[in-house]
Amino acid sequence: MKRISNILLASALVFMSACTDLELEPLGSTTPGVFFQDESSYRAFIARVYAGLAITGQSGPAGSADISSLDEGFSNYLRQYWQLQTLTTDEAVIAWGDEGLPELHNHAWTSANQFVRAMYYRVFFQVSMANEFLRESTDDKLAARGVSEAGKADIRRYRAEARFLRALSYWHGIDLFANVPFYTEESAVGSAAPTQASRKQVFDFIESELAAIESDMAAPGAGEYGRADRAALWMLQAKLFINAGVYAGENRNTDAITVTKKVIDSGAYSLQETYQHLFLTDNQNSTETIWAIPFDGQSTQTWGGMTYLVHAPVGGSMDPAQWGINGGWFGLRTTKAIANLFTDVSGATDERALFYTSGQNLEIESISNFTDGYGLPKFRNVSSAGVGGSDLDHPDTDFPIFRLADAYLIYAEAVLRGGQGGDAATALSYINELRERAYNNTSGNITADQLTLDFILDERAREMYWEGYRRQDLVRFDRFTANGIWPWKGGVKEGKVTDTYRNIFPIPISEVLTNRNLKQNDGY
Amino acid sequence: MKLEVNFTLRWLAVLAILTMGQWVMAQRTITGTVTDAQTKEPLIGANILVLGSSTGTITEFDGTYSLSVPAGATTLEFSYTGYTTQQVAVTASSVIDVALSAGQILDEVVVIGYGSVRKEDATGVVAAISSKDFNRGAIVSADQLIAGKVAGVQIATNSGEPGGQATIRVRGGTSVNAGNEPLYVIDGVPIDNTPINPGGFSNGRNPLNFLNPNDIETFTVLKDASATAIYGSRGANGVILITTKKGKAGSAGRITYDGYVNTASISGQPDILDAQAFRNVVTFKAPNRIEQLGSSETNWYDEMLQTSTGQSHNLSLTGGAENIGYRASVGYQNLTGILRASETERTNFALNINNNLLDGKLQINANLKGAFTKDQFDPGVVSSAWTFDPTQAVYDPSNTIYAGYNEYGVTLAPRNPVSAIEQVQDFGRSFRSLGNIELTYNLDFIPGLSAKVNAGYDVNNGKRERFQPTTYARASAAPDPLAGELRNENYTRLSGLLETYLNYKREISSSQRIDLVAGYSYQDFKGEFPSFRAFGLSTDIFGLNSTVPATQFVSNTSILNNRLISFFGRANYSISDKYLFTATIRRDGSTRFGGDNRWGWFPSAAFAWRILEEDFASGLSNIFSDLKLRLGWGITGNESIPNFGYLPTYSLGDFRTRYQFGDAFVTTARPNGYDANLKWEETSSFNVGLDFGFGNGKFSGAIEYYLKQTNDLLFTVNVPAGTNLTDRVLTNIGEVRNQGVELTLNAVVLNTRDISWNVGFNAALNNNEVVAIDGISDQGVLVGGISGGVGNNVQILQVGSPVNSFFLFQHKIGTDGLPLRDDVDHNDNGTTAVNGDLSDIYEDLNGDGIVNDLDKRVVNQPAPVAILGLTSNFNYKNLDLSFTFRGSLGNYVYNNNASNYGYYDRLTLNPNYVNNLHTSVLETKFQRPQYFSDYYLEDASFVRLDNITLGYTLNGKAVFNTIRLYATAQNVFVLSKYKGLDPEVGGGIDNNPYPRARGFIFGLSLGL
Repeated sequence: MKRISNILLASALVFMSACTDLELEPLGSTTPGVFFQDESSYRAFIARVYAGLAITGQSGPAGSADISSLDEGFSNYLRQYWQLQTLTTDEAVIAWGDEGLPELHNHAWTSANQFVRAMYYRVFFQVSMANEFLRESTDDKLAARGVSEAGKADIRRYRAEARFLRALSYWHGIDLFANVPFYTEESAVGSAAPTQASRKQVFDFIESELAAIESDMAAPGAGEYGRADRAALWMLQAKLFINAGVYAGENRNTDAITVTKKVIDSGAYSLQETYQHLFLTDNQNSTETIWAIPFDGQSTQTWGGMTYLVHAPVGGSMDPAQWGINGGWFGLRTTKAIANLFTDVSGATDERALFYTSGQNLEIESISNFTDGYGLPKFRNVSSAGVGGSDLDHPDTDFPIFRLADAYLIYAEAVLRGGQGGDAATALSYINELRERAYNNTSGNITADQLTLDFILDERAREMYWEGYRRQDLVRFDRFTANGIWPWKGGVKEGKVTDTYRNIFPIPISEVLTNRNLKQNDGY
Repeated sequence: MKLEVNFTLRWLAVLAILTMGQWVMAQRTITGTVTDAQTKEPLIGANILVLGSSTGTITEFDGTYSLSVPAGATTLEFSYTGYTTQQVAVTASSVIDVALSAGQILDEVVVIGYGSVRKEDATGVVAAISSKDFNRGAIVSADQLIAGKVAGVQIATNSGEPGGQATIRVRGGTSVNAGNEPLYVIDGVPIDNTPINPGGFSNGRNPLNFLNPNDIETFTVLKDASATAIYGSRGANGVILITTKKGKAGSAGRITYDGYVNTASISGQPDILDAQAFRNVVTFKAPNRIEQLGSSETNWYDEMLQTSTGQSHNLSLTGGAENIGYRASVGYQNLTGILRASETERTNFALNINNNLLDGKLQINANLKGAFTKDQFDPGVVSSAWTFDPTQAVYDPSNTIYAGYNEYGVTLAPRNPVSAIEQVQDFGRSFRSLGNIELTYNLDFIPGLSAKVNAGYDVNNGKRERFQPTTYARASAAPDPLAGELRNENYTRLSGLLETYLNYKREISSSQRIDLVAGYSYQDFKGEFPSFRAFGLSTDIFGLNSTVPATQFVSNTSILNNRLISFFGRANYSISDKYLFTATIRRDGSTRFGGDNRWGWFPSAAFAWRILEEDFASGLSNIFSDLKLRLGWGITGNESIPNFGYLPTYSLGDFRTRYQFGDAFVTTARPNGYDANLKWEETSSFNVGLDFGFGNGKFSGAIEYYLKQTNDLLFTVNVPAGTNLTDRVLTNIGEVRNQGVELTLNAVVLNTRDISWNVGFNAALNNNEVVAIDGISDQGVLVGGISGGVGNNVQILQVGSPVNSFFLFQHKIGTDGLPLRDDVDHNDNGTTAVNGDLSDIYEDLNGDGIVNDLDKRVVNQPAPVAILGLTSNFNYKNLDLSFTFRGSLGNYVYNNNASNYGYYDRLTLNPNYVNNLHTSVLETKFQRPQYFSDYYLEDASFVRLDNITLGYTLNGKAVFNTIRLYATAQNVFVLSKYKGLDPEVGGGIDNNPYPRARGFIFGLSLGL
């Protein structure tokens, strides 16, 4: 009897001392120590930094969301970037009444606006991911993990691209929010809240970063499709320099000419013969696109991105099958301010006029009524040969971020703004190249006298509408707020001017309240 | 070796008893009734023993017994807790009725964590509800047994789904983002009751459904921290101890049968336009769409409904022999829902054996429970019934793509609910088993010292599978290459438990007693969740049975694991039965936290003072029969959060989130956000209570005040950009406070020979407030997503307000008492709310001249301010009548059905079909959705008659000792001002829940 009790006690004590082990390996997910044992993990990681522009989580089309400040489909980088740059302008109105959405076209957004918030957190999600990539791929860590020499060479280029993507998002950050929190890979996860840098400081950082990584990037057109190369870097520099007056109060038009010339003279790109083909499922073969965000009906799915851009403009009497989709979302149309830039909206004269007018009214009586305002379904889930995409929900169409036409337009604008190193004759020839492509003949060509800055702004709208640059262009030309009127700007049918503080967006209230280092933008 | 043989033999003997039945050895049967001498109430569970033998039995729920007595028996002993034991000589009569007198009620015992105490020694807030007080009805999940029975315990079914998940809050929720459900401990085994479905496909209904309500003896709710702190990091939301029925050593074998049949149907109709009204509205509001209407009159809601039927059968065998008691039971329950294609079915068994060995030094108690559950899930198309054009026919034989169902076949269109119900097959099957063996050994060398080992397991294994044929309309338009889907999700969850502890009980002197417990606990949890989906099936002929070639496959496996290791101790010390002290401590280590936060301390202390024992209180004894003041304090934790949130991890993307590099698609990997300093929430609570009894025990009750302050609130909040890898991280950042008052009253209203009437009443007031969210001082966090639009939220977490308060515009009210219409320019500024000028219809609360987000206000809360329960048990001779009222005051509901379906533009949202509307539009005349109008927020206070039962008992008829027949009505009526279908809405947003039923039950209980 004694023996039993002793055994009982002894075994209990043994068990108690043996089983205080709380070191469980997480079976469901991967710690860095496990993950980076495999060299290909770096490729998976850099692919995700890129994919941050396209997808919203780790399950497609939605699931395991990256950011949770709002609905996952709404939180898509491209969708929100596009909305803030486009819905706020004469290029688009949207019928839906989702909270905060009508505020965008009405110029009535507040610091609580969920779309502004989503874009803000998307920008810094990208910056943070790029920083994490840089922290995990230092020479020390690569050596410690025994990465091969070939692997190290690949990873060196990945690091350059991570810095490029970080620069890209910081550019979006200063373009939309001006003075933003600034931090680099030096700030580990869990470190103190970053301090605010001025627009000029971040501008300088982007400039120096791009210069530093240029040699590590692939030569123009030589890299893998979907990855940024040196030409993409020059285009980002061009955007930075042409807007330097807004961002930094500097005149950098000469630099804008220098970098656009690099793009144009690289010989790697030529204008796509048919304008519409730039926006179809086989646009990855485009000769004109410098860098695009690839989407794929089977492999890269989201409810934002191209899914939104193809579905939302379809409605009314449009046959969804023509757009390669299973149904329209009855959302996006354009205003007459854009339609009136074209002498003929049918597309018969200028093939860039991709309006849909059947059953649509030019005038917008009610934004919520889809048939008010011409449709402008620019992107389609069909190929140049008319073949539908691989999925009826999620298009195969890629979104061009930088293309040669933009380089031409920036070159011309920089020349007109007095930049050195280029000339007016070349500028005119570039513009007329664009117009010949559009008119399929020289009838639309302009003369040197007609090439003015105002013309450039309008031509940019005709060429680049719905590609996510309109607000930026209007701000640069000072036509976004205090000047410039279009239907329903300011919430009234005929449009009215708005306060200049709306040239930039507010920092989301949730961010201002959690990071005390940040000062809200004036007016908000 | 000898011991082992002995041991085996004994267990074999038990089996033999179980198979043969001990009653066959009886030679003579004596029956009778045991009653309370004073109240004439039958005594349930009173012990009857043949003196000098181990033969005995206990009384039935109506006080009757039947005992097989050996030939030589001379005396029977009748005993009952709290009553004076009586011995009665056996005579020739085969009927012996006995009335026992209440002695000093000293020995009633309540279970607490890792032990039990005499009720009057309890220092914490402990409420025990035994089977005789359980709710009656067609109850699937055990938690419903005590709804409305315990002050401050809110048990609300989220919907009318059979066996659906319930929301249980003990004294309000302490948390926002971590769990708020109490910890369940079943026969000493803490279980993980959190539904986990990493594949996004709920794999069962209420996880508690595996327990047969008929097997449960008592529920003990530990409410305050001084009682729950011994469960440490799992104690913050209260602990519910469930004890199942057991056989008693020495009792005679008894067989009972308990069964019922039931039927139920919907109570009420939703507020949607019928075909006639709809046609009229379209005629006036969208005349150009009139040709799209059909010629039928279909009530889509009725098309989905059926009369629910069910049955339940339970058979149990209870008994004992010398030193051994046993109980075995089997049960079967089947219940169809009031929505077609919803059903739950359960077959379960339970076995308990308790055994005294080695002259009573070793006690063995073994429990084994298991249940097979089969659920059929309705296809979730209630919202389609709200919106589908009522002039359309159900069937359209020409529409062969959709198997002859009338479907629009375009994107975004509502799906035909009948098609879904009749075509989709959606089943869940599970087997859950819980077992444990407890060994208690009295150690000789120190008197009063015993050692206990409790080893247990909980296994839950099952699958959910759904088949949608190719003829079922998905969201996509036809032809849909992905039509036809087979979805399958499996799960295996396993938990192992080992607890060892020592107990030392000693009377130090005649006036001082101590009771010490010290122990160790180890519990490990692991779950595997493989799943797959196949889209675009090539054929429908195999249904659920086989995977066929499909266009697209998605598969996934998740594995979740965590572990909890604890050391705990408790000391009870009493002086002269007057001053009672309890102190507990627990040290918990959880794998959910890392570094310095892995281990935590959870102490508690309590003091009780039995005032009547004091000399100076002798005068009070004339008035009071009991008076005990209790003070308690403790710290408890909450670790109901996902695993490994403190570790940096990478998530690999699925094949749809790959990214194109060159011509290949690269699988992506994302670093996840994390907080390395994550720790559990800590709730420190204070409780003061007074137990009282007066009127010679006729009235008793308790009054409590509590204050619970939760710090380090686990809260998913925005973190400053740049400090983490995502925008919102689960982190310890806030404080929530709950304080409240509870009152429990029990009264013996009438008590004569033929009539008895007991009434129990409880009321609880709880005030919940977000005290702090670090870094978010005046702005809140929006929560409470609604149907309608995308990303629209109507609730807020804001400092100074209750958790999830509503956050809405104040709608201007017109002279007619109705909210202002949105299509009229009320302020004559040239534009209306329809065109974006919200100042026409909403108050400009911040006075800045425009109406925008900043003009919303915090108003009311979804959680009740007060919850009430009223129970009555009335007996007249053989008739019994009992009922339970449950009430809830101050809870508000946002009528999302009205806001989402009640505006005219909804008619014409899509050119391909016309949508039905909520009848509120006839009143509001809203053109556009006004999701954020406080017009939709309604006071949903209610009083519900949950159940009423009428029973009749026959004694000693035919071959049965007892026969009881009863009828129960469930959800008899609900009184509420709320205009929606049912005021009881989980989370406060009324959004197409599964409707509740009104039901009737006819039952029969037999005792052999």
